[in-house]
Amino acid sequence: MEQKNTLTEPVKYDLSFAREIYSLENGYYIKQCMQCGMCAVACSTREIMDYSPRQLFNLIKLGKKEEVLSANTFWYCTSCCTCKARCPRGVPLVDVMHDLKKYAIEQGYDQYPQAAFYKAFWAEVAGRGKVFEGGVTARYYLIRGLDEVKKALAMKDVGMNMLKHKRLPLLPPKKVRGLGDLKKIIHKAQELQRKEARA
Amino acid sequence: MEKKIGVYICTGCGIGDALDIEALSKVAAGEYKVDICKTNNFLCGKEGVELIKKDIEAEGVNTVVIAGCSSRVNYDVFNFGSDKIVERVNLREQVIWCHPANDEDTQMLAEDNLRMGLAKQKNMNLPEPYLVEDMSKAILVVGGGLTGLTAALDAARAGYKTVLVEKEAELGGYAGKMYKQVPLKPPFTELEENCIPGLIKAVQDAGVKIYTSATIEKTAGAPGMFNVTIKQNDSTVQERVGAIVLATGAKPYDPEKLAHLGYGKYENVITQAALEEMAAAGKLEAGKVAFIQCAGSRDQEHLPYCSAACCIESMKQALYIKEKNPEASVYVYYKDIRANGQYEHFYKKAQQEGIIFIKADVTDISEEDGKLTIEADDHTMGTKSIADEFDLVVLANGMVPTAALGEVVQLNEPAEEEAAAASDEPKVELPPVIKANLLNLDYRQGPELPPLKYGFPDSHYICFPYETRRTGIYAAGVVRAPMDMLSAVEDATGAALKAIQCVEATAKGEAVHPRSGDLSYPEFNMTRCTQCKRCTEECPFGAINEDEKANPLPNPTRCRRCGTCMGACPERIISFKNYSVPMIGNMVKAIEVPEELEEKPRILVFACENDAIPALDMAGINRLQYNPWVRIIPVRCLGSLNLVWVNDAMAKGFDGVLLMGCKHGDDYQCHFIKGSELAEYRLSKVSETLDRLGLESERVRAITVSIMDYDKIPEILDKFAEDLEELGPNPMKDFQ
Repeated sequence: MEQKNTLTEPVKYDLSFAREIYSLENGYYIKQCMQCGMCAVACSTREIMDYSPRQLFNLIKLGKKEEVLSANTFWYCTSCCTCKARCPRGVPLVDVMHDLKKYAIEQGYDQYPQAAFYKAFWAEVAGRGKVFEGGVTARYYLIRGLDEVKKALAMKDVGMNMLKHKRLPLLPPKKVRGLGDLKKIIHKAQELQRKEARA
Repeated sequence: MEKKIGVYICTGCGIGDALDIEALSKVAAGEYKVDICKTNNFLCGKEGVELIKKDIEAEGVNTVVIAGCSSRVNYDVFNFGSDKIVERVNLREQVIWCHPANDEDTQMLAEDNLRMGLAKQKNMNLPEPYLVEDMSKAILVVGGGLTGLTAALDAARAGYKTVLVEKEAELGGYAGKMYKQVPLKPPFTELEENCIPGLIKAVQDAGVKIYTSATIEKTAGAPGMFNVTIKQNDSTVQERVGAIVLATGAKPYDPEKLAHLGYGKYENVITQAALEEMAAAGKLEAGKVAFIQCAGSRDQEHLPYCSAACCIESMKQALYIKEKNPEASVYVYYKDIRANGQYEHFYKKAQQEGIIFIKADVTDISEEDGKLTIEADDHTMGTKSIADEFDLVVLANGMVPTAALGEVVQLNEPAEEEAAAASDEPKVELPPVIKANLLNLDYRQGPELPPLKYGFPDSHYICFPYETRRTGIYAAGVVRAPMDMLSAVEDATGAALKAIQCVEATAKGEAVHPRSGDLSYPEFNMTRCTQCKRCTEECPFGAINEDEKANPLPNPTRCRRCGTCMGACPERIISFKNYSVPMIGNMVKAIEVPEELEEKPRILVFACENDAIPALDMAGINRLQYNPWVRIIPVRCLGSLNLVWVNDAMAKGFDGVLLMGCKHGDDYQCHFIKGSELAEYRLSKVSETLDRLGLESERVRAITVSIMDYDKIPEILDKFAEDLEELGPNPMKDFQ
């Protein structure tokens, strides 16, 4: 397996970036990584990742912010949990990956289509309490920009087939009952998260 | 002792179905005219044992020969007290389980085995224990560090008079000077206060006799009767002790040799010991610190071994740096983190506390304005790395056992060696001894414990923990092998228990180890001694001293009863009450060797009791079949193989002789260190003689087997038989 290695210059150990990552909700666990590589061998999408999880953690330690946040590693994580189950140090890798995705979006590293999808999906769920495929699709392409909308036309046959098989409703579903309460819950959770991040 | 022999043949376990028991009984009753010969179909059962006991009481039987299963099983059932001789003839594992039933050759094998057993008991006498006069059960602990203090405390609390000798003015050793110590108790994550002051107090309270600023000038004598001369300041004191625990510890590796890591060049490159001192003195102030692991260790140019403790010691130091200054950044450059056992928790804790571990080889250290820069090859990312602004760089400089610090001497005097080279007799080379000035043994084979590897006076740890190659002297702690504090504490207790075992066994006249409980010991018929020095040189345990005329002076309590001296002696003057050269010789002679025309070759196997015999038994247990030409004689150790047995066998018409011993060399498995090596060595002499007689030297062969090689036994024996067939029958066969 060819390992992508963009590091040609000698590295320096700069802890300021690492400290930022460690302060994420599950970021603390990254410290416990002992570089055994169990996550890499367990990962089903390792082949297409820029860096294996273990390498990513090491890059964090090296302070390579740019490499870490523009890597596709956490975007290709399928949350299958195999690495989390196998990690001898008990690092909850899937949760760490989620934290990294969120952090990357916050930092503006959202060039990956997965980032757009996450945003679209979340907006849909938060706004309706349910997922409307048409809504997610529309939002996704809008986030990705006009060029992408043109590309989306190439997908129209798939869309038509899905329509035929009643896999793509034309009209949005009803909102969930008590959407106001759901929003309150989400609001509360976000508030808690912000508070904990500050603590 | 007038022998009254009872032979009991067990017909259970299928022996009765596979062999002609009547013919077998005839061998005992007819050929050997034993007093009583009985058969029973369940000899190890209640009735069978009663049968024997009744004969012992009513008929006065005092020599019991049991033909049945291997001597490795049911030894407790067939124990009729120490005043009876019991000999076991193996008809099960080595006869019926590995040879076809009701076969002529199997029957011959069984009969020969019985003959050997009967011949053996003829030369056997009841051993009389060797008892020490003015026996001392006191235990001497050399070294007052963590290991020594623990060993002394354990021995004293077990009720033994204990003497502790420490070279420094204060007890405590290396660990005593520590600021804080690694965790010794669960959950193995918290730094602990130094336990040494408490331990010193406990040792003092336990009534241990302590000599500080003292060294050992001379250790004379043997287990149960060591006379130790202790030099304290300018006076000397004599102590008589029974066993010794050597816990002199280790010294940090000389950092002057680590110039490539900047030691001596930059003031702020220091050792772990120096950091410990700084911390204890409260002078530790550092914002950015790097630890360099394996500074010297695991380096062929310095210490080839892993020093085992430095990883966790560095973690400990890193943790207290963090404790004092939570803002400090601490980096650990390592090859591999070796946090053995429970210390894995400690490693995790160190990571959680934010210590950065970097798997890298340090390539350069430089300094600018008092700040250090480290360049390294980072192995995790496969790149070079630079880290700067370090206030301190700490070298984890490993440890060297105190036993390795001293002049290495070869005890074979050169003149003697030349003489040996001149004669065609090969001479055994004595292992080198390092004059470390720890025990100053008054032993013919050198003043200190023989080292195993890298100067550690260890022995085969799996088989003989804490045992050194000097009986009654037990090495513990980092002088024995590099280890962390927790292991050292465990080691200390183990060695103290071994020392207690030693004095108790010696008090009863028993062998200590590995033949624990053996009451026999070698006796020397000095009138025929030719002062050839073979026994004094070859004894793997230095049990035999020498007077100025080169007469051997045996020390039975130092002896482990392997019989290496017996095998070495060209005059055959050394024998045990129940194991001797004539005894085995008569066993060889008792075997019936058919004439050439019968086309029944015979192979004699001398098999080591410790590994080869169990392997042969296991081959039987697994019903592995091999050729029926082999006749197996168990020996205590191949080291006790006397060449005269090989001569006897060849003269008797055996077609081949096979020696089955244990693996030798650096990772030896021989219970007596070099028995099989010596046997092979002696064999090189016999092959010349054989060649001279016109016999092919291939007829006598030595191999090594381990207990797990049982599946290879048939292959080994059948291959040997095949090779012998190619050579043709022994031409001496029909001359007897």
